[in-house]
Amino acid sequence: MRKIWLVIKREYLTRVRTKGFILSTVGLPLFSVGIFAIALALATRKADHPLRISIVDNLGGLAPQILLGLNEKLPDGQPRFQLVRAWDRPVSETQAHEELTRQVRDGQVDGFLEIPKGILHGEGATLRTRNTEDYQTTRTIGRALNNALIARRLSDRGVHIDDLSEVMRGVDLTLVKVTKTGESEENGQSLMVQLSLVMILYITLVVYGMITMRSVLEEKTTRIVEILASSIKPTHLLTGKIVGVAGVALTQYLIWMGTAAFVSAYGAAVGSAFLPGATAPRFHLPTTYLVYPLLFFTVGYFLYASLYAALGSMASSDEDLQQVQMPVTLILVACMILFPIIQRAPNSPVAVALTMFPFTSPILMVCRITVQTPPFWQIALSLAICVATTVGVIQVSAKIYRVGILMYGKRPSLVELLRWLRYT
Amino acid sequence: MEAVAVEHVTKRFDTVVAVSDLSLRIDQGAVFGLLGPNGAGKTTSLRMLMHILVPDEGAIRVLGQPASDRTLDLIGYLPEERGLYARMKVREVLVFLAALKGLSEAEATVRVLVWLERLELAGCSEKRINDLSKGMQQKVQFIAAVAHQPPLLILDEPFTGLDPVNATLIKDIMLDLRARGATIILSTHRMEQVEMMCDSICLINHGRSVLAGDLRAIKKSYGKNTLRIEYTGDGNFLDRPELVENLNHFGAVVEARLQPGADPQEILKAAVERGVRITRFELVEPPLHDIFIEKVSEAHA
Repeated sequence: MRKIWLVIKREYLTRVRTKGFILSTVGLPLFSVGIFAIALALATRKADHPLRISIVDNLGGLAPQILLGLNEKLPDGQPRFQLVRAWDRPVSETQAHEELTRQVRDGQVDGFLEIPKGILHGEGATLRTRNTEDYQTTRTIGRALNNALIARRLSDRGVHIDDLSEVMRGVDLTLVKVTKTGESEENGQSLMVQLSLVMILYITLVVYGMITMRSVLEEKTTRIVEILASSIKPTHLLTGKIVGVAGVALTQYLIWMGTAAFVSAYGAAVGSAFLPGATAPRFHLPTTYLVYPLLFFTVGYFLYASLYAALGSMASSDEDLQQVQMPVTLILVACMILFPIIQRAPNSPVAVALTMFPFTSPILMVCRITVQTPPFWQIALSLAICVATTVGVIQVSAKIYRVGILMYGKRPSLVELLRWLRYT
Repeated sequence: MEAVAVEHVTKRFDTVVAVSDLSLRIDQGAVFGLLGPNGAGKTTSLRMLMHILVPDEGAIRVLGQPASDRTLDLIGYLPEERGLYARMKVREVLVFLAALKGLSEAEATVRVLVWLERLELAGCSEKRINDLSKGMQQKVQFIAAVAHQPPLLILDEPFTGLDPVNATLIKDIMLDLRARGATIILSTHRMEQVEMMCDSICLINHGRSVLAGDLRAIKKSYGKNTLRIEYTGDGNFLDRPELVENLNHFGAVVEARLQPGADPQEILKAAVERGVRITRFELVEPPLHDIFIEKVSEAHA
């Protein structure tokens, strides 16, 4: 036990002290927060100069109504939209079109709205502008045009309305997720949580699996494994290695989770200080979202880390590594591809099978629990299958590892691997 | 009590018999040479001593105990293929390896620093392994084998890559450790080292022991049948197949194995007749080098 502890300690300390670890641990949260902040700033950024637009109205009389809908103000109090010219029923449609197109091109106006004669009968209008990426502006103009059309249609039928917005005001549809333990308001955060959970599980299993694999190969190529094998039982060495790397992963997550907790606790306050009126989305995270992922992650980690360690012991070079790791990595990639099936139909036979299969359950069962928590017996069964498989895989991996670390040269064939299992 | 007792040990890998019915006895405090051509089964035998491999048949005792996980700490091992954690500091690697051999970390640190001093590496303790020269890494690796003061030391080609000064340093330490009671197993292809350092040897070929015992006794049994000659002039006075069975030119020195019953005086006479100037003419036991080749090629024939 003391020797295992020494291996764990070395594995942990040498990794945690590397620049790579410090950079990724500190850098990733900073990077995500930075991206989030930039996205937030971009999304809520108010335009800072008026937009000059013209309107070609082939139907006639719509422009004043449209302008009513374009009453947004800039932060400095200036109107957001500036009507350069409202061209009511031009003599020549083509001439008007060409002239305004030229003005847009030359930058005299930012864009122009072209309304066809048959707009009341379903013909579409066109907004011509140089910047077609500005969805917010497009949406505002579209809404203004729609409201003007509705007002026109109503007045054609004898209904006169002064304040159309009062009539047009709709209701908000709130999506509420019903679960056994209660209800939670849904603003898309469930999808976000599912996606991030699956991504985190996938990335961790692959990244830390590969670290374990490389660590095994490194000891093999530097031949230090010969000295280690004469000092400690190979199974103990393997155990220490896997647990040590797990400790590194755990440290990283604790730092990240701590940062996340800090940000969500203080982020709202900080956010509202900078952006008055902005509210941070409130997350409702049931405990099942934390306990089950942790359980499945732990089991899945040991399953995949021991698999990757066995693969590392079979290789003698980096090229070998690329080839031997493929099948295992593919299973993990498959989880990412199959994840939407679980999302769409969490209780379909396929979903049940995938969440029982021990090599996909660590990721997909977690995903299924967050989509729609299955009966407890299914979770328990899935976990039990996964634990049993992991115990078996660790034993087989240890046998392969024990032989593999002292074998150099050609990669073993499957037949040779089976023989290795019988060596003492 | 023997330091190592190997009794009728056999080890197979599938159909390949790596070691076959091997028996060895190594006295405590001896320097023992384990010899054999490449692929003879030396590494497999050493790995069984260290309990990395378990024999299919037979028994191994190390310092009176059956070889097991508990005898691991009694052995220090310098593998032929060298390598350490390249990015770790010298002191950290050595303390880790010594602690893995059962020392407390505090004691390991003290011993490692003493050894670094002794091998003239005191200034390197905080350097990373891959910042050291190859010779320095060799010495660090040697410390890894001896730092926990093992009563049994297994050294596989301990002198390769070392300059004469460092080789002498290592050799003196080996002799000192032996004087303090350690048993040393030396595995090497350098026969002159074996001749100078070993008390007894075992030559294995194809997994079998083909020659074992006290080195002096083995050499004596061959008798003084070899001429060691240094000369200047034409060397064709040695072209006498009826007298010389085998010739070995080393440049400055020639070793000539005599035919049974041949009179060395005949050769000296021939040399003098041809005006060759002889500066050394000595009748010696055959060098281990010749015995090695003879034993190994016998098995092939």
